[in-house]
Amino acid sequence: MSKGLADGVGVARAGHFETVAQQRAAATLGIWAWLITELLLFSALFLVALIVRIQHPEATVAAAKHLKFWIGATNTVVLICSSLTMSMAIEFSRIGWQRAMVRAMLATAALGGLFLVLKGYEYYADWDEHMMPFLGSRPFALAETPPARLFVNLYYVATILHAVHLFTGIALLLGMTWMAAKAGFLSRHQNWIEVYGLYWHFIDLVWVLAFPILYVVNR
Amino acid sequence: MSASGSVGGTARREPHAPEATLGRKADYLHADSTLRSWFLTTDHKRIAILYLASITGFFVIGAVAAGVVRLALIVPNGAIMTNDTYNKAFTIHGVVMVWFFLIPSIPATFGNFLIPLMIGAKDLAFPKLNLTSWYVFMAGAFFTLVSLVLGGVDTGWTFYAPLSTAFSNTWVLPALIGVTIVGFSSILTGLNFVVTIHTMRAPGMTWFKLPIFVWAHYATSLIFLLATPVITTALILLIMERGFHIGVFDPAYGGDPVLFQHLFWFYSHPAVYIMVLPGMGVISEIVPAFAQKKLFGYRFVAYASIGLASVTFFVWGHHMFVNGQSDLASLVFSALSFAVAVPSAVKVYNWTATIHKGSLRLDTPMLYAMGYIGLFVLGGLTGLYLATLAINQHIHATYFVVAHFHYIMVGGTVLAFLGGLHFWWPKFTGRMYSEPWGRVSAMLIFIGFNVTFFPQFILGYLGMPRRYATYPVEFQLLNVLSSAGATILAAGYIFPMLYLVYSLWFGCKAPANPWNAKGLEWETGSPPPKHNFLSPPAVPRIPYDYPIQAQEAQDQHG
Ligand code: HEM
Ligand SMILES: [Cu+2]
Repeated sequence: MSKGLADGVGVARAGHFETVAQQRAAATLGIWAWLITELLLFSALFLVALIVRIQHPEATVAAAKHLKFWIGATNTVVLICSSLTMSMAIEFSRIGWQRAMVRAMLATAALGGLFLVLKGYEYYADWDEHMMPFLGSRPFALAETPPARLFVNLYYVATILHAVHLFTGIALLLGMTWMAAKAGFLSRHQNWIEVYGLYWHFIDLVWVLAFPILYVVNR
Repeated sequence: MSASGSVGGTARREPHAPEATLGRKADYLHADSTLRSWFLTTDHKRIAILYLASITGFFVIGAVAAGVVRLALIVPNGAIMTNDTYNKAFTIHGVVMVWFFLIPSIPATFGNFLIPLMIGAKDLAFPKLNLTSWYVFMAGAFFTLVSLVLGGVDTGWTFYAPLSTAFSNTWVLPALIGVTIVGFSSILTGLNFVVTIHTMRAPGMTWFKLPIFVWAHYATSLIFLLATPVITTALILLIMERGFHIGVFDPAYGGDPVLFQHLFWFYSHPAVYIMVLPGMGVISEIVPAFAQKKLFGYRFVAYASIGLASVTFFVWGHHMFVNGQSDLASLVFSALSFAVAVPSAVKVYNWTATIHKGSLRLDTPMLYAMGYIGLFVLGGLTGLYLATLAINQHIHATYFVVAHFHYIMVGGTVLAFLGGLHFWWPKFTGRMYSEPWGRVSAMLIFIGFNVTFFPQFILGYLGMPRRYATYPVEFQLLNVLSSAGATILAAGYIFPMLYLVYSLWFGCKAPANPWNAKGLEWETGSPPPKHNFLSPPAVPRIPYDYPIQAQEAQDQHG
């Protein structure tokens, strides 16, 4: 990873590391370990959703048909595009094109924002359809079978948790973009972009898992 | 038993030990003394001290609650306090002890302090993250304390749904939030350790030269990373269900309460190894030092740590034998639980073999270590009773279980914690504590512990259920005995707090290596300088390079 960097692009060594290579290795291992824990956080939810689907196919399919497939599908495309722009940002950081990198990061954040807007609209449509079983003021209108409710509840927990991750991700990205726009950033902290990029791809990956499990299976 | 001397707490064992080579200002404790320098420190040693202080505070809270429980149980008819108060007392006790003392205790204090020293590094890989994890820990503690101040919780430390989500009228929500947050602190600590052990070892410090303490923390960190997220999911779901009625556990919402138990125990059984593995690491350092003998079967002990950490993920179902899981599942979980005994026994055999024909010194840390081994064996053996399907039907959810897990968790963690605290106290503080007082308290704790918890095996066998404030009159004698034991135990805990604090100002100055122990942490000053070593330490030829090495030949074939 450290090879292939342009001149003037690199990492400033922190005092407790002996070499830059050691520092890079630590950062990479650290982010992978974190991503594994994040994946486990979601996988318990996905596993339960899958089990519910296998055990009660009719009830869950009936409920899943009410999810807004086209919004979900558009959002999948939006996030995949954002992963692409993030990868471009990483490439630009390696060859030292700081302005292009900053623009690619801003584009990534914008696509993330678009996802949240679409998701918000989807929740609004759900609300309109009386699909939120936890709102006493809007009685649940889908088939009131326990598995259907369980499935719908899991859908909300999983998507809210994902949205929280995305929101945090955008905030971090904007903060980092602000710092990355300053002169000399790439010679000291190129590593940050690499590490952060992995986190963004992860958020994307979680949605790519969630979309088929929640929206598509048995459709 | 050679040269254990008379003068309390000097460097008497090694009169020629070099004096600490540092000027006072250079060591990590005195390098800077503003409050800011403590609360914004990124020095792993100072962060360890921050944890030590906070964890001691939680231990006191948990212990007072335990005292309340034992007080209530002196009389059979619940006359001393209401059922409600009783329920809250045992819940506070469990929540605080498990989540805020036992789980973070050894990793966050000794692990933080010692891992970089033991592998010859200047710090953990992510010093700022390390400080963050302490703040996260304190934030979690804050929420839990809020729930206590507002009036307490009555669900027990396990937060079983639907009691915790639908029926309890107490302050469950802040407590749940606190426990969820504290999980992130363990994840961050575990992550930091894994990365540090992988990438920060000094040149020449190969995997099979690492002290067992480091191996044990490596295994523990893997559990932190792989199990904690699952309970975080479970707790988030509980919070959603209680707070927003987005339910997945309560049947009223279409959910399944047994699902909570699966998610809960998938973490919480491995969590018991989060509590015992670091303790095993501590014992594996103390025993060779006080036998002056190489640890028997070094490689086996290392493998056993990883073995335990792996098997422990596959036994959670033994907490649900009577909850309607299929017979086949119960059978499999029972068999796998028996398998846990194998690596556990390996460890015990290796310690015993190390003690055998060593030149034994029964100083305070060693007394704790011997106590630990005894209690752990009894706790482990009774675990086999519980894992046996037919016997489990009879003793499930009785005091037998309570006795079992106290032998394992208190015996296993607290004794190792205290043993380690005495062992490394000179290193942490640069002072020696009073050896006679240390021995008195170690004995008091061992006696007090057995008087408190052994009767509970009998009570459970006779059928006294856990978590009730009242019981049939014929159980009173054993309960009074148990409460009396708890009083002795309390004394045993109070003494160390007094003489250790006293030693901070009045103890003799500690030499760099008061015990003649091996390991890189003893090669630097007591207390160590800010960046751990003044010059890069020389990694030893073999781990546990003690004078007596009778077993070395066998090991190499092992
Ligand atoms: C030798 C290996 C062990 C076996 C076979 C074993 C087996 C069991 C079984 C079957 C139970 C369930 C009892 C019931 O509720 O019916 C149990 C409970 C428990 N065990 Fe173990 N155990 C072992 C080691 C440990 C260790 C090392 C720890 C802790 C460090 C531990 C902590 C606990 C706790 C906390 C409970 C009580 C859970 C509760 O109901 O609240 N066990 N053990
Ligand atoms: Cu268990």
